[in-house]
Amino acid sequence: MIYFDNAATSFPKPKAVIEAMENYFFHMGGSTGRSGHKMAIKASELVFNTRELLAQLFNIKDSSRIAFTKNVTESLNLAINGFLEKGDKVITTSLEHNSVMRPLRYLEQTGKIKIFVIQANQEGLVDPSAFEDILKKEKIKMIIINHASNVTGTLAPVGTISKIAHRYGSHILVDAAQTAGSYPINVIADSIDMLAFTGHKSLLGPQGTGGLYIREGMEIAPLIRGGTGSSSEKEIQPDFMPDLLESGTLNVIGLAGLGAGVKYILDQGVSKIRKEEMELTELFIREAKKIEGIKLYGPTDTNNRVSVVSFNISGYTPSEIAYILDKEFDLACRPGLHCAPSAHKTIGTFPQGTVRFAFGYFNKVEEIRTVLKALAQISQGEIELPRH
Amino acid sequence: MPAEVVIVFKSTHDVIKAKSELEKACIAHELIPTPKEISSECGMSLRVEKTVLNKVLEILRSKGVRYRDDLL
Repeated sequence: MIYFDNAATSFPKPKAVIEAMENYFFHMGGSTGRSGHKMAIKASELVFNTRELLAQLFNIKDSSRIAFTKNVTESLNLAINGFLEKGDKVITTSLEHNSVMRPLRYLEQTGKIKIFVIQANQEGLVDPSAFEDILKKEKIKMIIINHASNVTGTLAPVGTISKIAHRYGSHILVDAAQTAGSYPINVIADSIDMLAFTGHKSLLGPQGTGGLYIREGMEIAPLIRGGTGSSSEKEIQPDFMPDLLESGTLNVIGLAGLGAGVKYILDQGVSKIRKEEMELTELFIREAKKIEGIKLYGPTDTNNRVSVVSFNISGYTPSEIAYILDKEFDLACRPGLHCAPSAHKTIGTFPQGTVRFAFGYFNKVEEIRTVLKALAQISQGEIELPRH
Repeated sequence: MPAEVVIVFKSTHDVIKAKSELEKACIAHELIPTPKEISSECGMSLRVEKTVLNKVLEILRSKGVRYRDDLL
């Protein structure tokens, strides 16, 4: 089986991830911060270590500024709902995933906020000066930006945009769903106020894990309130991180796996991971361009993208291509709109969508070559559409 | 038996961070359930010998660990 659906969730996971999760269930099992017995202490240490490893990966000075969530969608909802207030104005881009657009549109529909959407070009590139044009005229509370599009793979110049935002007293929330673990992120160098990430994509952890980093000095309100194992005499939510945003029992087994995933990435090095993924991406783009009938989307310059590639083959719908690839070639990928209708409108592929390949660190050059041959066969009409 | 002192922390994150820093500094310590007569701030506390208290607090401050100074 060839797995090119790493933008949905990464597969396979490093063995260490599975071992860490197994080890937790066999030998630890306790809850964090709720009791003082040995098993509870081990669980608390495990969660602490995962937080520290993530802080190391993103250059976060104080790991308590990371709150764990169940995925990046929850992280984005927490950041958006916890920070924005009635009357606030925000800027976002036409490349956002629905995990940003839906919470924003809800706040807009209920009359709380005003949204300015910056149109990306057909390659998915945004012009930083477009942000400044709005910031000059409007008091913008926050900019919400997709670090890399889950449709085109296009990278946004986050560091440049955050510096512009800060010049005008605004804040920046970065959606790192497609970059955390596979592209260098430095919250200090990139001046990131809030970073939303998921654990199960390029961080190589299990589903059900994610987090939100919030810069020191910035306060947001929690989505939920409840038991934290701290300040238990009070009926008021603690105001300190991470307890402020982490009510209820944590996904300790998931965080055991996430910690092992992040450790694996730190051991390998993000730059090595990036280099190898981009070598595969470059090979695919270079060779796919030569196949008649294939249209590729997103930037051709690999410096401006991650390993997410969208394409179409004339004469087929994206779901037909994905179906053929699955049935005839045992290849997993994702067709359709990828929960990002606005991004597909931007590149002109709405409503049919595209076929998306997302190469991961465990993919091989031979797999790319096999798939290129398959695409050539499909585009030449050599493969009959399998019957449903 | 030397006199001991219990340090109380704001959150589990801090008590585990303190434990980790004291391990690195090779300072003897024990994690204990926070005695109810002291506080119900966080479920766990750290017990150290009084003779090393100043050194411990210096480490905790330099590493930004949030402990309850008022309960010492």
